[in-house]
Amino acid sequence: MAMFTRRKFVKAAGACTALGALASINACTASTPKQASGGGKGRVIVIGGGYGGAIAAKYIKLADADIDVTLIEKDKKYVSCPLSNEVLGGDRNIDSLTFGYDTLKNKRGINVVQDEVVAIDPDKHTVKGKSGKQYAYDKLVVSPGVDFRYDKIDGYDAQAAEKIPHAWKAGPQTVTLRKQLEAMKDGGVCYIAAPPNPFRCPPGPYERAAQIAHYFKMHKPKSKVIILDAKDKFSKQGLFMQGYKKFYGDMVEWVSGAGGGIIEAIDANSRTLVGEVEEYKGDVVNLIPPQKAGKIAQIAGLADDSGWCPVNQKTFESKLHKDVYVIGDACIAGKMPKSGYAANSQGKVCAAAIVATLNGQEPGEPSYVNTCYSIISPEWGISVAAVYQLVDGKIVGVKGAGGLSPMDATAATRAIEAKFARSWFKNVAADMFT
Amino acid sequence: MKNRKARLLALTAAVIFSGSLVAEGVRTPSMLANTCAGCHGTLGASAGDLMPIIGGMEKEFLQMILLEYKTGERDSTIMGRIAKGYSDAELKAIAAFMADQEWVSSPVKTDSKMVAIGQKIHDKQCKTCHEDNGRVQEDEAPRLAGQWPEYTMYYLEWCHSKGKRCQPRKMGKRVMKLSKEELKAMAEFYASEK
Repeated sequence: MAMFTRRKFVKAAGACTALGALASINACTASTPKQASGGGKGRVIVIGGGYGGAIAAKYIKLADADIDVTLIEKDKKYVSCPLSNEVLGGDRNIDSLTFGYDTLKNKRGINVVQDEVVAIDPDKHTVKGKSGKQYAYDKLVVSPGVDFRYDKIDGYDAQAAEKIPHAWKAGPQTVTLRKQLEAMKDGGVCYIAAPPNPFRCPPGPYERAAQIAHYFKMHKPKSKVIILDAKDKFSKQGLFMQGYKKFYGDMVEWVSGAGGGIIEAIDANSRTLVGEVEEYKGDVVNLIPPQKAGKIAQIAGLADDSGWCPVNQKTFESKLHKDVYVIGDACIAGKMPKSGYAANSQGKVCAAAIVATLNGQEPGEPSYVNTCYSIISPEWGISVAAVYQLVDGKIVGVKGAGGLSPMDATAATRAIEAKFARSWFKNVAADMFT
Repeated sequence: MKNRKARLLALTAAVIFSGSLVAEGVRTPSMLANTCAGCHGTLGASAGDLMPIIGGMEKEFLQMILLEYKTGERDSTIMGRIAKGYSDAELKAIAAFMADQEWVSSPVKTDSKMVAIGQKIHDKQCKTCHEDNGRVQEDEAPRLAGQWPEYTMYYLEWCHSKGKRCQPRKMGKRVMKLSKEELKAMAEFYASEK
């Protein structure tokens, strides 16, 4: 591939203008490199401006300003899922989780477009927006997050979710769920139906239970939170159970899949969850359905039978379509969980691979990390961390590194981890949007 | 002639060495250091509160801290778990990468009364190591000027609780005698020095 920086290109173009009267137009056209149709070294389109996509767009620009980057995002503002459980607990306002794209546009030189991509043509290297506009790319990054398998829960669909919110994409449904909790009478029961693996944010449903209990403890102490789980074990289980017991006693209950927690249907009108054995009628019901890769990944044929997108784990290039990369919750990333920090880390690895490729180099050896904090009570935080490397083409954790907060940590340490959780959010958000 | 030959030899060695850097299994400093940004901000310029700014901090200091996290010599909630995921050479590469970045001071507003108290304590017992109001970085003394006050406070409280076991010992001995209010004043003072 031609190594033609923007500076060289401008110089060449300038020479053409200066010599315009003398040199033939053809000679100048011929010197224009193929990849320079949009940017100096090629055009990258990123679909989805969240934890993965915003980072990929920004880090491509940071590494090489001569690459033309367009970020296509369907919403004007982004609302962060991480920390949104604090909105349910009442300690945080949704505005504190809401971000715009102005800085990425003005400071980072990213072309931010508000549109929803409805089709990808991997052969022609184009994507089509709902607006009717067509966008051409040399490399495409798809970071669509998750979509829901409504078909797995009888009686549940996008419309029913307005009434029985999953609130698994932060935004209006988070606010709806909070309002329902506020309107609930003391002594009521809130059910959280937790999905089967794999799903976005493995510790999320359990942090949510704690945050709702935190609200109940202060305002509705006779109420209960019951987690109906599709699984028999879950992320940071020991630490969560310890925290529930310490702060909320009998207020939080967990029902395993084997114990009857698997939900097959819902009657939205009576707020009744239908399990394999029992039915559960709640005063507030939060049904988090099973998940798959985001809609555009499904439409574009980037997902396999599992519903998720297989990728080359060194670069995140799709195994199904060349020059298309899938990052974040939608992709199959070895041992990495579907978390915000994982998406951030994958966005950077993918950005580096694309920058290398557009510069005619081999992508370098990757390095990935994940940290997930959960806030059980305002001054009681826990975490899990892992550092990853590529071994035989698969992302695996580095042995001896990472792991959970210790079970026997002091209250002071737990308080610091809760503070770290909030500071993490400030930094990861700044990493995305500034 | 002799000089040219030596230079050529050095150049060849450099080419071979840099060639080995991109070989399979070796990760570039930016690839490694960018994994830190999710918590410490882009290029180590932390957005607050409890996460320290590490971009632009002295290389030797960062190296020492990272290696101590890895061995467990230095207490941490999470850095020990993370530092164990990298080789010593990689931790040194991360330290060097962060040291190369521009220091971006926290934009936090400070309380002038607290700052004045902090300044007095600094002048009395901190300035021989932390010169120019905490701006100079030498002999493993990190930059303090412009650091987020919540972080400086966290570090000082940790040092206070360790007392004489806080390294360097001469710092531990001084910090352990200060009250919580005085520690807060120190953190405010350094934050006010951009």
